[in-house]
Parts: sequence; structure tokens; C-alpha cells
Amino acid sequence: MASTGISPREAAVLRRGKLDGKPLSAEEREKLLKPYLPEDLPPSTSPSRGASPTRRPKNRRASTSRRRRPGLIRHGLHVLIYAIISFLFSVFFRFRHAFRHVRNKIVALLKYHHRTPEFIQRDTRHLERLPKHLSVILQFYEGDEDQGSAGLEGLVNDVGEIAAWTAAAGIPFLSVYERTGKLKNYIQQTHTSISSTLEAYFGPRRTPTLSVRAPHLQSYSPPPTPDPQDDTSPTSNGHPSPKTSPKPPRQHLTVLLLSAEDGRDTLVDLTKTLSEMAQNGALQPEQIDAKLIDSELCEAVSGEPDLLVLFQPSVCLKGYPPWQLRLTEIFHLPDNKGVNYQVFLRALHAYAKMEMRLGR
Amino acid sequence: MADSLHNSRIHKWIASSPPVVWGIRQLRELIIGALRQGPIPQHVAFVMDGNRRFARNHHIETVEGHNLGFESLARILEVCYKTGVKVVTIYAFSIENFKRSKHEVDALMSMAKVKLEQLSEHGALLDRYGASIRILGQRSLVKPDVLEAIDKAVALTAGNKKAILNVCFPYTSRDEITTAVRKTVETYSKPIGGPSTPSKRPFSETHITQHIRQQMLQTVPEDMPEFQSSRSASPSSSKDNSSAGDGEQSSTTSTAINPSDHDDYGGTAPVYRDPETITAETLTDNMLTAGAPPLDLLIRTSGVKRLSDFMLWQCHEKTSIVFLDCLWPEFDLWHFLPVLVEWQWQKKKLHEQERGRGRHGID
Repeated sequence: MASTGISPREAAVLRRGKLDGKPLSAEEREKLLKPYLPEDLPPSTSPSRGASPTRRPKNRRASTSRRRRPGLIRHGLHVLIYAIISFLFSVFFRFRHAFRHVRNKIVALLKYHHRTPEFIQRDTRHLERLPKHLSVILQFYEGDEDQGSAGLEGLVNDVGEIAAWTAAAGIPFLSVYERTGKLKNYIQQTHTSISSTLEAYFGPRRTPTLSVRAPHLQSYSPPPTPDPQDDTSPTSNGHPSPKTSPKPPRQHLTVLLLSAEDGRDTLVDLTKTLSEMAQNGALQPEQIDAKLIDSELCEAVSGEPDLLVLFQPSVCLKGYPPWQLRLTEIFHLPDNKGVNYQVFLRALHAYAKMEMRLGR
Repeated sequence: MADSLHNSRIHKWIASSPPVVWGIRQLRELIIGALRQGPIPQHVAFVMDGNRRFARNHHIETVEGHNLGFESLARILEVCYKTGVKVVTIYAFSIENFKRSKHEVDALMSMAKVKLEQLSEHGALLDRYGASIRILGQRSLVKPDVLEAIDKAVALTAGNKKAILNVCFPYTSRDEITTAVRKTVETYSKPIGGPSTPSKRPFSETHITQHIRQQMLQTVPEDMPEFQSSRSASPSSSKDNSSAGDGEQSSTTSTAINPSDHDDYGGTAPVYRDPETITAETLTDNMLTAGAPPLDLLIRTSGVKRLSDFMLWQCHEKTSIVFLDCLWPEFDLWHFLPVLVEWQWQKKKLHEQERGRGRHGID
């Protein structure tokens, strides 16, 4: 407690509420607190009670002439210190950014997936638990100054890569949030692109079956090409370990595309519908509870993701559906920009380690 | 081991000597004053996590951990308000926390009561410096004696306009959103015009309805209670009047419908507000944080990277969310400073980017 600037005696007094063995009275406490209260009262404060308003202006006028000079000096000092702090931290932030960048690059070199699901499985096999529903936030870059991931093509590529890692790690459900909802207009193309990436990773024999959907839109999952030696049961039972059985059941991956309108707007739409129902007498307002909203949103949008991975330098949710975020573990790598495998891997590791207390 | 103990004793002695205490005090003031020079978040939220782990690590009782957490809160509130933060929202108690041991829940409740009662003793001080306290959450879950202390403190500080302290007491965000939806549905499911006989006066019904709609659009959130209370004669709303129309009846916006319009107005079916006029703002205004500036910064201590049902509606757009590894009782200016400076830095960078883009657009 050394850094607080409160002497231990005062701290003890305030903590126990006792002064020299006697219980602390209100006045005594006020006296103790006095040095910590702000000195200058902004002129806007309007005291609503007490006899002070008549006295205070006079006091202030008398003291301003005396106080102005130290006030000015103090102000100058504050500006100076602010400049110094800003400068020091700005240097610090830049160094930290550079350091993290280099470190991330090194880790990325050491831990590369080589587009082989076996490598990814090796990285994730020992994890105690995996999320059942993984969610990522991606960003659509208008220009092409950002390396390789610009425009719609870059976005679709990123989705494909992430989908492949997800499938390789054995996670059955992936939701991709992108604020503008560009991907939703190209579900079919997205499906084709992800499938080809999956095939590039897994090879034609073991490519997981894939369905891509978006809220309020038809799910797109073309019938899998007939495969005589495969029973094509789209199960989602985790790792298809190729060593144990010669004919592994095909894994299934569902990709859900979300956008900003699945957040607030969907809740607003739900409210509209409920209002209409209430107006028609089909529903009493008292019947609305968290369960009802939850089940409706679960059906219309998605359930709660277990893990949300951000590929941005800082945590900013950009309109991600709020209702679903309740207990989601949020992962981001500081100062990281852009999709890469080590963020994904570290997120899974962090998720495996965390403990869930549910308020207890 | 003995050496380190000795060292720590010397440290303690030095740290608690008056000049050092005074010096640190001045340094704090200086830094706070300096921080004021930059942009300051208008609304900051804290998840005060880690009290119990702190207690466990330091081998003290859980309740004592919560007490230290309260002190930490007092320190950080001082920093916040002195730097110019307008609204601070803290997650004091979740509805889920009722699952904890009865002993702990009771201790937390009595702590809240004692602190609020202590606060209420300083009426004049609060008037001069204080923030107004608001308790957000499910009142029905709180015991009556605690509720009494809450109401007293809230009433006493209601006049303070300088800053606001939102204490989320038994709160979960889902509960808040649900309540907001329910409130919205309630207001929209009340007829705004009772059936009356068709008239031959020179006013057109549709025109008036339109006019009323327009009025409503401008003033949806605030004046809902007036509509209901001015209509106590209409059959379906008589029950809920008492709960909805408290306190806000004196506002001047109640000109939307006055009794003279009544007669000209009608139709056989009850007229409702158009549900299509519900927007995200309608819901925002029905949230417990209605009227507060948008949440700029959310800080969670103790390294847990979850929102845990806190401020979901408020923080999912532009809020910077920061997860810190330190436990809440350790949290102080020295942890807050880098966060705040980084926020300022990001803000500045964003500003520059926007300006750059604007210039780009002009070219």
C-alpha cells in the first residue's frame, strides 16, 4: 500500500472505522478526508443545500488574485508532465509493438502448420478441452495496403484458412463475424472457396463435409459427391484420427457468417415482433423473460460461442451480437494485426487453461 | 528469507515515513492533473474481479479481501473523477453471485449497507464533491434493510450533477436487456387512443394521429409515462399506471396529447404505436444506463478474459476492453495510468487516421 500516498495510520483508521479505539464519527471522518478532496471547485457546481452559497463566492474572489499565479504554474507543470508522459509511453508502445511483432514472427516461424492437418492436430491434441463453438472477428479492408488480406478475396481466403484450422483441430462449429456483412452476399462463392482450401489441407479423401449458412438465409451445403467406400454420415465427433481406423467417418464443419445486423438490429426486430404480438393480445409483456429471448436468438442467430478470437491489436467488439457474448472467452494477441495461425493456436491453449466459475 | 523480510520491513518503514507519503501524494496529484490535459474517457466501467483470489494468496479471509477491494475502488474512483471521467460503472454483484456461500453473500450485503450508510452521513461533503449514486439491477433480489440504505444514499446524492457512479448491484446484462425489451413492449402494447364516437368536427383523425406519431418519434423514451397516465380512463392501462407513471409527469413534453384532443380523436379499434418505430435507441433508452454517455473503456482485472454478463449491450460496439492481470485489491493509479495513456494514444491515432482519411477524400 506504499504507493497510495495514504499514511498507514489514516488507512487503519478509515479501514476499521475507529480512531484511538473510539468509533469514528462523521465529522472526524470528514476531517480525515479533507486533504484528499479536490481543492478547486468548478464554477458549474450548484450547491443545492446548506448555507454555503452566500459565503463561498466572496471567499473565492478574495483568493483568486492570490491563487492565480500558482494555478498557472501548476497548469504549465501539468501540461509539461502530460507531454513527457505521452512521449515516454509513445516510445514505450512503439518498442513494445516492435518487440511483440518480432516475437510473433519468430513464433509463427516455429509453429507453422504447413497446410497439413496432422501438424495442427499435433499442436492441439494434448489440449484438455476444445471449444465446441469457435467464433472469430474479421475485418474487411477496403484498400490494399494491408498485406494480402485486403478486399473480398483476402477476406474469403482468411475464412478458408481459419475454417481449415478449425476442422483440423476438431471443432465442429465456426462462426465468422464481419461487420459489414459482405460475405453474406456470396455464400455460394464462400462455400466453394472454403471447400477448396479444406481440400488443399486434407486431400480429397478426407475433406470434411461443409455447410455454410448465415442467419435468415438458406444454409448452403451441396450434397457431397458420392463416395462409394464412405458411408457419408456427417457426424461431428471430433478428431478423425486416421491411424485408428482405415475408414474414418467424415467430419462435418458448419460455418456461420455473422454481421452487425445480427446484433442490435436482430434484438430490435425481436422487440418489434413481440410488441406486435402484445398489441394483438397474443402475448403479455410479463411473459418476456431471458429464456424466451435466448431461445429466439439462439434459433435466429446462433448460440453462445465458447471462444472468440480477435485478430486485431486490441479488444474492440465492433458490434458483435451482444446477447451471445455473455460468457465467451475473448482472446486477442496484443499488437497482432491480421489472421495467422499462432493466434488461433494460442487462443485454443488459453481456452484449455481457463477455469469457468459461473459466478461462484 | 530472513533477509527479504528485513528488507521488506525497511521498505515499509521508508514508505510510511511522512515525507515519502507526502511526496507520493503530490506525485499522484501531479499525474492526475497531467492526465487531465489529454482526452479523457467519459464513461468507464470496471469489473472488480480478484478479491477472493487476493485473499487466498495473502491468507486472509475472503471478506477481508472484499474490504480491500472496496478501498481499491475508493482509490480508483478518486482518480477517475479527478481526471474528469463523467460516469463510472462498477460491477459490484452479479445475480449469479447469489450462488456463492451464504456467509459471503451476507458479508457483501452488510458491507454494502455499512458503506452506503457511512456515505449518507456526509451530506454536505457529498453535495460539494460527490457523484450521484445509482444502483442498477434487480431490486427485488435485495433484502429490505439493504434496500433502505440504498434508497437513502441514492436520494441524498440525486442532486449531484458533476459525476455519476453506477453500481451494478444484483445485475446481469441479459437481465437488463430482457427488462429493456419488456419495457419497450409494454409501452408499445398500450393503446394510445381510446375508442370514441366518430365526430363531425373539422379535424381529421388521421392527421392528428400522424401528428401524435411524430411527437412520439421525437420524444419516445421520456414521455411514455405521460401518455399512460393521461389515459387512466382507458380500460387496459389502468393497472400499470401506478408503476409506469412515477416522477416524470412534470416534464414539459406532455403537450403531445391534452384532454381537448381527446374528443376529436378516435376510431373503434384501439390505436397503438407503430412497432416499426422501435430502434436500437429505444432499447438503449430503456437500459439501466440510459442517459449515460457511451461506454468508452471497460477494465476487467485478474486476467479473466470474459465479460461475464456485464454491459453486453453497452460495450459491444466501440468500447475498448482491457483485461489486466493484476487482482482488484492491487489495482491503483499505477495500473490505471498505462491503460489510460494507451487509450489516449489510441484515441489520438484514430483521430489522426480519420483526419488523414478526410484529407484524402478532399484530394
